[in-house]
Amino acid sequence: MRRVRRQVLLLLALTLSLSLVGLTGTATGQAVKNPDTFIQVSFGDWDTFDYAWAYDTSSHTVIFNVYEPLVAYDGGRVDRFVPRLATAVPSLQNGLVSADGKTYTFPIREGVKFHDGTPMTAEDAAYSLQRFLMIDRDGGPSSLLLEPILGITKTRDDKGNLTLKFDDLQRAVQVKGNSVVVTLKEPFGPFLSIMALWSNVVSKKWATANGDWNGTAATMAKYNNLKKESSAFFEKANGTGPFKLERWDRAGKQVILARNDGYWRKPARLARVVFRSIDEAATRVLMLKAGDADSIAISRREQPQVEDDPNIRFIDNLPWLRTDAFFFTVDIDTRGNPDVGSGRLDGAGVPANFFSDIRVRRGFAYAFDYATFLRDAFRNQGALPKGVIPPGMLGFNANQEYFIFNREKAIAELREAWGGQVWERGFRVTVLYNTGNVPREIGARILKDGVEALNPKFRVDVRGVTWASYLAAMNDGKLPVFWVGWIADYPDPHNFAFHFLHSDGTFPKAQRFKNDELDRLVVQAIKETNRDKRQALYFQINKKFFELAPSVSPVNQVVFRVQRSWVRGWYNNPVFPGTDYYTIFKG
Amino acid sequence: MTAFVLRRLLLLPLVALGVTLLIFGLLQMLSPQMRAALYVTDPRQLRAVDSVIRTHGLDKPFHIQYVGWLSRVVQGDLGWSETAKMPVAKAIATFFPATLELTMFAVVPIIVIGIWLGTLSAVHRDRIVDHFSRFFSISGTSMPTFVWGLLLLMVFYGTWQLFPPGRLSLEPNMYVLSQQFRPYTRLMTVDALLNGQLWIFVDALRHLALPVLTLSLVSCATLVRVTRSSMLETLRQDYVRTARAKGLESSIVVNKHARKNAMIPVVTLSALLFVGLLNGVAITETVYGYPGIGLWGVNAAIQLDAAAVAGFALFNALLLVVGNLAADVLYAVIDPRIRLR
Repeated sequence: MRRVRRQVLLLLALTLSLSLVGLTGTATGQAVKNPDTFIQVSFGDWDTFDYAWAYDTSSHTVIFNVYEPLVAYDGGRVDRFVPRLATAVPSLQNGLVSADGKTYTFPIREGVKFHDGTPMTAEDAAYSLQRFLMIDRDGGPSSLLLEPILGITKTRDDKGNLTLKFDDLQRAVQVKGNSVVVTLKEPFGPFLSIMALWSNVVSKKWATANGDWNGTAATMAKYNNLKKESSAFFEKANGTGPFKLERWDRAGKQVILARNDGYWRKPARLARVVFRSIDEAATRVLMLKAGDADSIAISRREQPQVEDDPNIRFIDNLPWLRTDAFFFTVDIDTRGNPDVGSGRLDGAGVPANFFSDIRVRRGFAYAFDYATFLRDAFRNQGALPKGVIPPGMLGFNANQEYFIFNREKAIAELREAWGGQVWERGFRVTVLYNTGNVPREIGARILKDGVEALNPKFRVDVRGVTWASYLAAMNDGKLPVFWVGWIADYPDPHNFAFHFLHSDGTFPKAQRFKNDELDRLVVQAIKETNRDKRQALYFQINKKFFELAPSVSPVNQVVFRVQRSWVRGWYNNPVFPGTDYYTIFKG
Repeated sequence: MTAFVLRRLLLLPLVALGVTLLIFGLLQMLSPQMRAALYVTDPRQLRAVDSVIRTHGLDKPFHIQYVGWLSRVVQGDLGWSETAKMPVAKAIATFFPATLELTMFAVVPIIVIGIWLGTLSAVHRDRIVDHFSRFFSISGTSMPTFVWGLLLLMVFYGTWQLFPPGRLSLEPNMYVLSQQFRPYTRLMTVDALLNGQLWIFVDALRHLALPVLTLSLVSCATLVRVTRSSMLETLRQDYVRTARAKGLESSIVVNKHARKNAMIPVVTLSALLFVGLLNGVAITETVYGYPGIGLWGVNAAIQLDAAAVAGFALFNALLLVVGNLAADVLYAVIDPRIRLR
């Protein structure tokens, strides 16, 4: 009995001492772990490594380091290009862009080999581009190049039948000598910006040998909107980039890249890059502190756990080409909709067209406390907004007047709304966000507090719903006010102006919002080839965005990076899907 | 006994049918737009909702979707798991060994310590061992798994870097993924030994230590309580008193006479615990970044991955039926008075 008691007491003492030590200590002063391997630990999975299918950041981080485009961004610059698999960046000056701005010639670099050792040719480059356009899977990235090159945004009709003509594809993307010539439907200002991210080159021979499209008209329909897993590029890769895809270990939730020793530039300094997916943020933080991760993905919530660690570099205030906003649905589907209360303007609900009155929208916009949002949701990192176009992009106007938290102006707008009925009768409406998104939840609550403080008859509910419910309700026009964001596909204001303001854009469609003048301005701006004139048009668009307030951008977000202090050679480009591991080394 | 076993196994297809019908029925209650969220994960894809619904046939009537799925299942095709990015059957085969390995290592301390501490607690009722045992049980069951997990991780990994998360460290991991290593069973410890790689075996054990400890702390506590109650009940029986009156040693009375009879509820609980662990221990797997079947199952459910959820449920039904059957058979082994008919 005495022995048992002694054992029990010993166990208790051990447990307590371990807990006390463990909660306070961290390992410091470590030597560089795994010096030639970079370990990136994030959350979420990779979707596919097919460059024409993938549209998620995780997949594109891998693709970005395995494949190469014809032209690329010049380091951290988003407005300057360097040739990559092409030998020159097409421009009017060098004669590789035609005078009408519609034809681009890309002379293809010689001596470049794919990872399997076969040489890369102009035919490969043309095939890759045609395949990117032709695949056009549901919700995929093909429309980014379909729009400028073929003047269409989809390749199927409403019944799912292929409408793309092979001849059009052949005419638009041609091989001439050792060059690829791309002919656009209309001049398209940001064409090179898109090409710098989305013109990856794959081996036609390898693709065909692995059962993928052989580049002919006969098999085109079979590969259009193909199933992800049917693609030859789904889990294998054969690019020209500085790293080879060694393994997608789905059982271990990791992807391993190995250095391409036959790379046409100087080989990378890292021998391997390992991407691991760990769902729990606290575990990722511990891995970084232990040196088992070189960089991790975390949210602002975990910032205090890492920012003061001498072994960790916390790099903050990095620009991010992203706009978040709260959107107003101007024609709400009120049928069986719990978020509009009574469905009438009687103090207990809102009617379908409640937000079609511009004064209601502007009243809400002035009632939002932007500074508090920046503080509570982003620890004061970022900036107060200036419209729909993020800073650092053509068309961003630092002098643009935009909403600020102003109770008097909010009251003035809402007093006038619906001929004074809003102020007289009051309303009840719900602001929605997708659960798990903490900044949006904070924002929704700030909007609620701001609007309810104006008039005791105003009632704003806040409701978080799962992504599935959110998506369905957004698509059906059932969300009166909803939060969502957009990350740039390419660094050009068109990518934002179209999807936030054009009636065919993603969000106006969900909002049922249409404004003829905005539609006209957005189309005019994209066709304009003169940079100064384009800028002036986007200034105009931004001004209209403020005046009409179909949605309200509450903050200009910035992003941060967390990495071990032994990581060298990292640089930021806000449009990259992930890190450029070519320049990185540890030491 | 054979007839009993066969009869119980024959129930399996019916259970499977019921379970999958229920899962599909529940998923069908969600609109096609909601189910499209599995494929439309980014606001940039919002405009593709209708074509996604059409492509994947999400708007087809329930019976057509279910019968189509069932006919493929009969042919051995459980469908494609969007969350695992592989066929459902392959996903089960991929993720289950990790959980099986974890369970095999966890179940031994759970049962041994659970029964030992429960018995000790009952025999030394209201003494310090009993108080410790009850404190252990209450703290084990009342503290959430993720709290235990993170606490242990902070101490044993954050501070001492003894037991890292994941399944293997970098170098063993690279070796295992290379051509030199043959995965015979996909149980890392077993395969390491079969490949003669002791260093990988040791590394795998280091990675198993904390998940096993977490599961032991959480699951063992319940077993301690049940064993203690059952033992207390048994120790009050007349035959135990008679055995003591005969002058038998206390250890013989407890271990030979009382414990065996107290084991019926313990066996039931142990079987359920074992099956429960095999079904996946999602929280433990999440905290330790341990890619097991539970983690996959939860992600599939969150993302409304219908084929994966149905396949996962089917597999769990199989485990449950077999687990319960094993418990029933064990009753007869423990207590010869029980006859299986």
